Amino acid sequence: MSGFWSTVFNADFVFAIFRITAPILFAALGAIIAEKAGVTNIGLDGMMSISALFGTLISYWTQSWLVGVLGAVLVGMILGLMMGFFALRLRTDIILTGIAMNMLGGGGTIFLLYMFTGLRGNTSSLSSPNILIPTLNIPVLKDIPVLGSIFSGHSVLTYLAFILVFVVRFMLNRTSTGLNIRAVGENSDAARSVGISVKRVQYIALIMSGALAGFGGAFMSMYYSQSWNVGMIAGRGFIALAAEAMGRSQPVGAMFSSLIFGFAQALETRVSGIQGVSSFLVAAIPYLVTIIGLVVFVWSSRRKADKRRRQISTSDWE
Amino acid sequence: MGAANETAQNIELAVDMRNISKVYPNGIAANQNVNFSVRKGEIHALIGENGAGKSTLVKMLFGMEQATEGEIFINGKEVQLTSPAQAIEHGIGMVHQHLMLVPSLTVAENMVLGMPPKKGIAIDYQAAVRMTTEIAERYHFNIDAEKRVMDIPVGMKQKIEILKALLRGAEILILDEPTAVLTSNETVELFQQLRHLRDNGFTIIFISHRLNEIKELTDRMTIMRGGRFMGVHDTAGISEQEISRLMVGRDVLLELEKDQANPQELVLSVENVSYTNEWNKLMLDNVSFDVRAGEIVGIAGVEGNGQKELVDILFGLRNAHTGEVKVNNESILGKSQRVIREMGVSLIPEDRMLYGIAATGSITDNILADRYGNKEYNAGPFFKTKKIQKDTEQLIKEYRIVARNQSQQVDMLSGGNIQKVVVAREFSSCPNLIIADQPTRGIDVGATEFIRKRLLDLSREGAAVLLVSADLSEVMEMSDRLLIFYGGEIVASFDQTSTLTDEVMGEYMLGLRRQDKKELEEDAYV
Amino acid sequence: MYKRRMVAFNILRGLAAIILALAVAAIFIFLASDEPFEALKQLLIAPLVSFRGETAAFNVQSLYQILALMIPTMFTGLGVCVMFSADMFNLGGEGAVMAGGFVAALIGIYLPMPAGVHPVVAVLVGALVGGLVTLIPALLRVKVGASEMVSSLMFNYVVMYIIMHYLNNVFADRSKGSTQSFPFIETVKIPQLVTGGSRLTYGFLIALVFVVITAIFMYRTRWGYQIRMIGINSNFAKYSGMSVASTLILAQFIGGLLSGMGGAIEVLGRYNTFLWKELPGYGWTGITIAILARNNPAFVPFAAFFLAYLDRGCQLMSTHSDVPSEMIAIIQASIFLFFAAEQFLSGARQKLVVKNAKDELAAMEAETAQEGK
Repeated sequence: MSGFWSTVFNADFVFAIFRITAPILFAALGAIIAEKAGVTNIGLDGMMSISALFGTLISYWTQSWLVGVLGAVLVGMILGLMMGFFALRLRTDIILTGIAMNMLGGGGTIFLLYMFTGLRGNTSSLSSPNILIPTLNIPVLKDIPVLGSIFSGHSVLTYLAFILVFVVRFMLNRTSTGLNIRAVGENSDAARSVGISVKRVQYIALIMSGALAGFGGAFMSMYYSQSWNVGMIAGRGFIALAAEAMGRSQPVGAMFSSLIFGFAQALETRVSGIQGVSSFLVAAIPYLVTIIGLVVFVWSSRRKADKRRRQISTSDWE
Repeated sequence: MGAANETAQNIELAVDMRNISKVYPNGIAANQNVNFSVRKGEIHALIGENGAGKSTLVKMLFGMEQATEGEIFINGKEVQLTSPAQAIEHGIGMVHQHLMLVPSLTVAENMVLGMPPKKGIAIDYQAAVRMTTEIAERYHFNIDAEKRVMDIPVGMKQKIEILKALLRGAEILILDEPTAVLTSNETVELFQQLRHLRDNGFTIIFISHRLNEIKELTDRMTIMRGGRFMGVHDTAGISEQEISRLMVGRDVLLELEKDQANPQELVLSVENVSYTNEWNKLMLDNVSFDVRAGEIVGIAGVEGNGQKELVDILFGLRNAHTGEVKVNNESILGKSQRVIREMGVSLIPEDRMLYGIAATGSITDNILADRYGNKEYNAGPFFKTKKIQKDTEQLIKEYRIVARNQSQQVDMLSGGNIQKVVVAREFSSCPNLIIADQPTRGIDVGATEFIRKRLLDLSREGAAVLLVSADLSEVMEMSDRLLIFYGGEIVASFDQTSTLTDEVMGEYMLGLRRQDKKELEEDAYV
Repeated sequence: MYKRRMVAFNILRGLAAIILALAVAAIFIFLASDEPFEALKQLLIAPLVSFRGETAAFNVQSLYQILALMIPTMFTGLGVCVMFSADMFNLGGEGAVMAGGFVAALIGIYLPMPAGVHPVVAVLVGALVGGLVTLIPALLRVKVGASEMVSSLMFNYVVMYIIMHYLNNVFADRSKGSTQSFPFIETVKIPQLVTGGSRLTYGFLIALVFVVITAIFMYRTRWGYQIRMIGINSNFAKYSGMSVASTLILAQFIGGLLSGMGGAIEVLGRYNTFLWKELPGYGWTGITIAILARNNPAFVPFAAFFLAYLDRGCQLMSTHSDVPSEMIAIIQASIFLFFAAEQFLSGARQKLVVKNAKDELAAMEAETAQEGK
């Protein structure tokens, strides 16, 4: 039994958690920004898939991973703009717009890949190490035992994902764009009454959401799987939505819920090789955890809201 | 006339709206040739009943609506106000009835929303707090700039709205019924602050229909009724009786022939009902009354005096905090709408689009809503479509609903016909008790007359009717007995409505008079 | 007059959306293909017409294949119509299809029964399981307030992995190279409707029967009526005395029931053994169908036919030209977006409404004038 624990829970395992969490975290941050602006983005999964494809293609054409990542982000932003056009201009229901985006991310990407390259289904023949996202060995830290092997040697984007948690938090809480986004999502009349253009803010939020999905996509195809293939996103965009809901639309909260998912999935890869453990049942755990988390958090935040109302009322009496 | 001109030249006008008319696209004329002028540095009341056109007038002043005819002058210069942003630029600020605040943002963040002080790319939050505290201190407002708006009481929220306008450079402040949500202590505090602002040179337009508040606070007042200008007066120089005469009045008397009521057994009894709303404001204070079969009991009062809460409680949409409500001697408190309906209660809701109809459903769908489970319409699991169609057709004819056919979508009908659909459903279920909340609001004369007639017929056939209406001529014409609500209490009760004058009604409705206990008891229980 | 005009307008608007979507598809085909005209011909004409040299003939086998493709998607389309009619975005149809198919397959493999009874029992139990899959997100929404959209999406994956676990670790036929179950007992198979390799089974007729049943349920029973009214205005429904919560749950359960039935019929009709290794995608197609049918069950067969036709066209296009069949996703998404767009051609609609209002006023004036005489 001690053998089991040492093969599962070691530094490599913790390293894997961060690696697996990163793409979900990108998308969860994207989900937060859109949600805060009052435009639920359920198209994240499709956005990730499409931008993952373009990340690979652009890096191959330019032979530069950096241009590839930026290209993926740009594509994500264009997709966000597109969702905005349909949802805000043509007034298609935002949920249905997201579903359409996911359709494009499913079969549409295979078609696009063929259109640009003539390849079918995956890009493994295009990949070479020089166009993958590089990893960073952090001086000093890398030489510390255990900590070094956990926190050093991640890809550039892994670090970026965790940095972006705080960037997004800063943006939402401390910049005028962020305040505008929250104002529009919570009380659009209030925003309008002080001269904020609601549509413009929602466009911006969807574009930012797309950019973050773009990072997530690039991470998947240019680092995690090392090439693009069909179905590689595997519902990560949906999990991100759940992480957003579980984290009560707060970046740090979403980071922790993404880590829970990362943990569950890292566990899955670990234990699936072990005799007597069903890899499939373990694979279901992250999704199950997400549902349970969602229920618990919705329930507890309801109680909190009730409590707050009571408190305000009593202070009013005095 | 010459004297008036002289005064106008001597005293600077902050706002001068001349010959304003406003016709909405749906044809409703909300303002007809209204003159409204406010002097610099005064608190000016805009007073009138609901539907008198006050809101429309100030919306035009704040750039939210555009006048069909007329001119607007601000500080002597003619202006075109096509958006709130332009109004703000001209130094006009407005505190809306529904507060325009973002709950999760702090007070300071709400204050600077849309125009935040910046430090690099970030908001200079400390500066925002400083600005907020400074302006609050300057005008003696006591607020906590760093609290989140969702954590503060409603009175404080309103102060923030005022400060928000001041921070944006407003010199003319419009307050749309600011006291409606406030407790009395909060109201007192608000008035002190408003006086202080006036003494500092601000101009304040105060919309209300509460006479005592207006008497206490304002310098002058403009009275409106039915979209028309009813004069401007110095508050000190006009009696409350005179205000109420100008403000409350019947426009046209629709002739309605009414037999003497013959009240039978007790149907609805309301005993000592009190209700406190979610902001701890007492909305109903120990209300008791009865309605008997065969009579119409009217409830009159200016809106916001507890009538809405009462109707919600009677229909199970809110819970009374204390007291008892019985229909046919059976309590209805805590029961579902289905059970209440099964006890023979019908309701014509005040907000017909929200509660009265399914807008994209057909007429048949809407008629069926309270009777889809009835035996006569079901054969096993299936609807008896023919029977349903036949009965709907019958109702469309009987209630003279103008529609192409019964499958026409309800939201394609005119307002009067939509209300006739609601009424056809609610009246045709053989109710013991009909609660009609503003049954004829905003609909055409023909439909109004029709609905009143039907209501009267039903009561004479033995239904108990509770009629709640802000339309004075309606309650006075229709009611066999009349109760007047003020401040959540029944302040007057009359057995005879024919001898009542508008003046007397107005005085009770505006809280200038109230019957003593003995008078009330004599009339409330027959 | 008025109604006819609006119906005509809505049909035209739908056609415009379809044409626009096909135009988008054509642009992509021209970008992607070396033989775009051949590809377009395969996409648009070949599903029903076969070409031999110069002669063209009606291709009945191909029609059968299109009809066969409609079987599962008609069911999921009906299911989504019911679920969305209650104004709930339950996306659990996907999981319901797979669960229904799997459970029906197990009954088909391990529970011998007489020939007539076997498929009926398998399909009904499959349907019931499908209903349970969509019921859970509905309960979470009604009882706790958790978004049914997120929880149903997550639940789809849970269902998929649980099925994969049982398929791989408990019920796998180890003698086969790929993961699949043991073959079905012959008695459970849903018989073919026509000969040939089209896989057009009696399931198609069952699907049509359920179109009628669902349409009757939604428009001719008190339960369907309540579902529709709650979807239009739940405040109104509550005020009128309907029990909103239990009706919402019922609608979601029925939606899953239909999807699960579709999964069961598809598995027992098309295959000899259970071999789905991922979510089959019929749930998503069902959403597109419901959007095209505007949640009206009566229009589901037409929407399903249209999508199946395109699906078949895309398959033919990928076999006979150089354009991959996944083109369908782009066409489907475009149709979806334009069809659901409220503002699409809204200018024209506005004009029509104004014109109607004017006509109406004129008619009423004429009427009153007549009465006055």
